[in-house]
Amino acid sequence: MASYDYDYAVVGNSAAAINACDALRGRAVEGTIAVFSEEKYRCYSRPLISYLVAGEIAARGMYYRSHNYYRSIKADFHRGVKVDSIDPSGHELETDSGEKVSWRKLLLATGFKPFIPPIEGLEEVKYVTFVSWDDAKRMIRLTAKPLKALVVGAGLIGMKAAEALVARSAEVTVVEKIDRVLPLALDDEASSLVAERCRRAGIGLVTGEGVALLEPRGGNRGRAVLEDGSELDFDLLVMAVGVRPRTELAETAGLDVNGGIEVDGCQRTSSRDIYAAGDAVKTMDLVLGQESINALWPVAALQGKYAGLNMAGAEIAFPGSNSMNSLEFFGLPVLSAGIVNPPDDSYEVITRRGENDDYRKAVLKGSTLVGMLMAGKIERAGILTSLIQERANVRRIKDFLLEEGFGHINFPRSVRESRIMDARAGLDEGEPAGDQGGSR
Amino acid sequence: MRIVPLEEYCIGCRLCEIHCIVQHSKSKNIIKAFKSEPRPIKRVEVEEQGHVSFALQCRHCDEAPCVTACLSGAMQKDPDTGVVINDTKRCVGCWTCILVCPYGAVRRDEVEKKAVGKCDLCPDLEVPACVANCPNEALVIVEE
Repeated sequence: MASYDYDYAVVGNSAAAINACDALRGRAVEGTIAVFSEEKYRCYSRPLISYLVAGEIAARGMYYRSHNYYRSIKADFHRGVKVDSIDPSGHELETDSGEKVSWRKLLLATGFKPFIPPIEGLEEVKYVTFVSWDDAKRMIRLTAKPLKALVVGAGLIGMKAAEALVARSAEVTVVEKIDRVLPLALDDEASSLVAERCRRAGIGLVTGEGVALLEPRGGNRGRAVLEDGSELDFDLLVMAVGVRPRTELAETAGLDVNGGIEVDGCQRTSSRDIYAAGDAVKTMDLVLGQESINALWPVAALQGKYAGLNMAGAEIAFPGSNSMNSLEFFGLPVLSAGIVNPPDDSYEVITRRGENDDYRKAVLKGSTLVGMLMAGKIERAGILTSLIQERANVRRIKDFLLEEGFGHINFPRSVRESRIMDARAGLDEGEPAGDQGGSR
Repeated sequence: MRIVPLEEYCIGCRLCEIHCIVQHSKSKNIIKAFKSEPRPIKRVEVEEQGHVSFALQCRHCDEAPCVTACLSGAMQKDPDTGVVINDTKRCVGCWTCILVCPYGAVRRDEVEKKAVGKCDLCPDLEVPACVANCPNEALVIVEE
């Protein structure tokens, strides 16, 4: 049998990579593990960079695992090392310093990169992106003094950047080509609720307008000319138009890539000893019924976990994913899952407006709940998410879904029992443990 | 260890909710917890409709969706005890766990800081407060 430098090599160091390591170590007690990260940080939580910039958490709050994590799972952590190429048949990878490392099984958890659209003049102006700890540090440094910031793109990254910049006393304008903020995560109603909060916090929102031209004005300063001819001067430009999967390594290795790395049900790529998980990977979307990329932390973490289990020989299929978002802007939380903007009128839409900014929406296809959104009062939203993921028939409880007291009480008793009282089975076999007495 | 609700015994008195709040209060004194201290959130919820009711708290799932989904790493399942615990110091209050908990058993807890709160099975007690104080034994413990 061939001997390798490592039993398991992991390219990447974020949600998918770390959860794969945890799963691997949980099952393959003996194998050696190597983690390669082009960044210099121990594994940290990328979504927390807006909290860091806003001053809501300290740097130590960024870490996803404890300081001795790699030692605790007996993994070699190769930090600041970029993997340049992979040789699937030779079971080898090559790093940017030319080092060759052999592996028995490999995980690609390469994640995403910011998408920078072609805008006239963009090469001449300085801009920042907002996806990494380094980006966050740069933004903190650049906003030491109050300034005018322009954010291009009102998706999740752009809006989080805008919110963090407001906390840094910046005067912020967001420009979005589509006619509302958070166009993919939210529907019209929730989007306008968020927009109102943002405006009240002083963020300028220009929607339905693209940037036509960018002009440098020295240093980080510049001027944006919008499609309608209006002009916006800025001291800091944030490009947040979107993200793309990082598939270069997979492509040059000859793996199947089609808008994302393709994997089978067990997160295995077209090369049998290479697995992939996270934001670069296409998996089955439970709601859409087709392969797609849901570039979300919880999805990446779950894919990583399944990849790790399968690399250790488990043969357990990834259950599938769905789009979902948990957002909060200026005190207004909005949770959503599945389809919030039905593409045609074959879907049934139920909405409910409560006091203040309370808003709820359910989207059904026939008797199946395929989407939900809750703004304001978000308690117990996960019950709806689970009904979406289970593809449950909700015909009999449809009228209660958006009620404030909605819960398992609305389910038929048999369903309720199988969902929450599984452990009852244990009761039949013996006396309940512990003193059940009322006195203390 | 898991707490199982028996709906045929639950009378909907909500003493479980009250004693949960007391147990998670600063003084653990019922008067102070409700009158003079910041009142903790309840970590058990009585669902009620007509004459049916039952109390529900975190199931401490084997494959806990809240743990996998947690952005900060604050939500962890203790490998030895199996208890799912949220480290409120690390929790940033992103609500992703609320979005994925199939039981609706995680709630916003902004009493001290922005975070979530959930059932911790009362680590300081031999029997969790909700179980010990249920007058009709409608909450029972199952050891696994």
